[in-house]
Amino acid sequence: MKRIMINKDLCSACLNCYMACMAEHNKNGKSVFDVDLEDIENEGRNYITIDKEGKPVPIFCRHCDEPECVNTCMSGAMTKDKKTGIVSYNKEKCASCFMCVMSCPYGVLKPDSKSKTVVVKCDMCDGREIPRCVENCPTGAIYLEEVDC
Amino acid sequence: MKYVIIGASAAGINAAKTLRELDSSNEIVIISKDNNVYSRCMLHHVISGNRDLEKIAFEDKDFFSKYNIRWVKGIEVIDISTDKKEVILENDKIEKYDKLLIATGASSFIPPVKNLREAKGVYSLRNYDDVLNIEEGIKKSKKAVILGAGLVGIDAAIGLMERGVKLSIVEMANRILPLQLDQKGADRYQKLFRTKDIDIYTSVRLEEVILKEGGFVDKVKLSDGTLLECDMIVVAAGVRPNVGFIKDEHIKIDKGIVIDKNCRTTLTDVYAAGDVTFTAPIWPIAVKQGIAAAYNMYGKEKLFDDTFALRNSMNFLGLESVSLGVVEAPYSRYTIDIIETKDVYKKIIHKDGIVYGAILIGDIDYCGVLHQLIKYKINISNINKNIFKIDYSDFFSIKQDGQYKYEAL
Repeated sequence: MKRIMINKDLCSACLNCYMACMAEHNKNGKSVFDVDLEDIENEGRNYITIDKEGKPVPIFCRHCDEPECVNTCMSGAMTKDKKTGIVSYNKEKCASCFMCVMSCPYGVLKPDSKSKTVVVKCDMCDGREIPRCVENCPTGAIYLEEVDC
Repeated sequence: MKYVIIGASAAGINAAKTLRELDSSNEIVIISKDNNVYSRCMLHHVISGNRDLEKIAFEDKDFFSKYNIRWVKGIEVIDISTDKKEVILENDKIEKYDKLLIATGASSFIPPVKNLREAKGVYSLRNYDDVLNIEEGIKKSKKAVILGAGLVGIDAAIGLMERGVKLSIVEMANRILPLQLDQKGADRYQKLFRTKDIDIYTSVRLEEVILKEGGFVDKVKLSDGTLLECDMIVVAAGVRPNVGFIKDEHIKIDKGIVIDKNCRTTLTDVYAAGDVTFTAPIWPIAVKQGIAAAYNMYGKEKLFDDTFALRNSMNFLGLESVSLGVVEAPYSRYTIDIIETKDVYKKIIHKDGIVYGAILIGDIDYCGVLHQLIKYKINISNINKNIFKIDYSDFFSIKQDGQYKYEAL
């Protein structure tokens, strides 16, 4: 599978990846010019946070080999595709119990801020050749690599 | 090699799926009392009318054909002949096995309160049939008492709330969701329930059910003398493992079927997983036991070591919350950090760098890290940060293949 690899030392917290993710998943259009930063309905699925040393760290869904979010999902909304390696989320099936949010060991998941009924989850840009975040990272802190799974 | 699995819920289905992924050719059979594969955690959504049977399925319709699994459905297992390695079904048919997994789950427990077991109009909420029975009941019933304000009791209230039935919840502890929330946390939900005209009676026990003609429920009498008129009772007082069909004493049963870390019972080639083991009646444990059992049945060793049970996420009336570990400090030498605003209540209980419990209400973003800290007692004393802001960046560590890990584990 292809995984977004992380070299956190190269991250400068420019948040281009976050903006790119918002743009890619914006129902109003995919250009960055369509992004309304005040629209809480539109939020990035991965994020940059600041660690105890004050340094930026990218927290990106790993699409784990043994995903806790899938193991804890009681509705069948969260599934792991063994062929593509992608952990997908189906919001139609989701019952908003948020067991996945509680169970992701790396704290990647959250309920959406607007309706609090949907899980905000990386979908690897749903088949896009290079995820939009990776494409927009100017430092190489995130990059795509083929890995065994 | 032939694998037989009894039970088609979280543990059984995940075991079957895992077996097929490991073993592409050998026969896999699931025998289940249930006629459908569905998530019990969503039954209340059927009562409320938000979902139907199809929409509480947690696997796709083509599951059995896709994974090439033979499904014997709607049939109960009545015995296991362990020396012949046969499972005996209620229709007298037998099913031979080489490896057997018992994943028969649990049933609602009806406490031995006067008249409760005999009364007509008493329901539980565990199986799809219970939903059908409740559905039938509310055609006539106008006032329901829900016995127990744990997760199932509250689910029942949520399901029945919009159905024109006046609800009263009766709970022995001094608050609703006593295992999941402290008083302040429970108060937030109790306030919300009261806005829905649901009455809550805490610190009381059910003493007696008073019957009317024909043996139907008429009133319940509580331990403080209160009489509540009702024509329906939903019992949510816990579950007991379904072990009645196991007569062979070689399979050791304590509260549930006793298993080791490989999900093996005390009898060779017989495994158990899920609620029937009485580990903790929560979905993720059943799933992971099912998966571990499958690996071991196939002959590939896999340990099941995730027995941490004090974890729940809740989402009632639009207010989401997570409860991890203890809800109160066991004694006074713990540090308790609290955030309290109009919409949010958060509490973290810790001592000497180890977090023992947390309640998060109204903001559960990225809280999986806290789960990990509590479950594995990961020391945070060297992290000089507001405890509510600690996240995975403070533990960041990456494997060769890009997956995250915790250095401490």
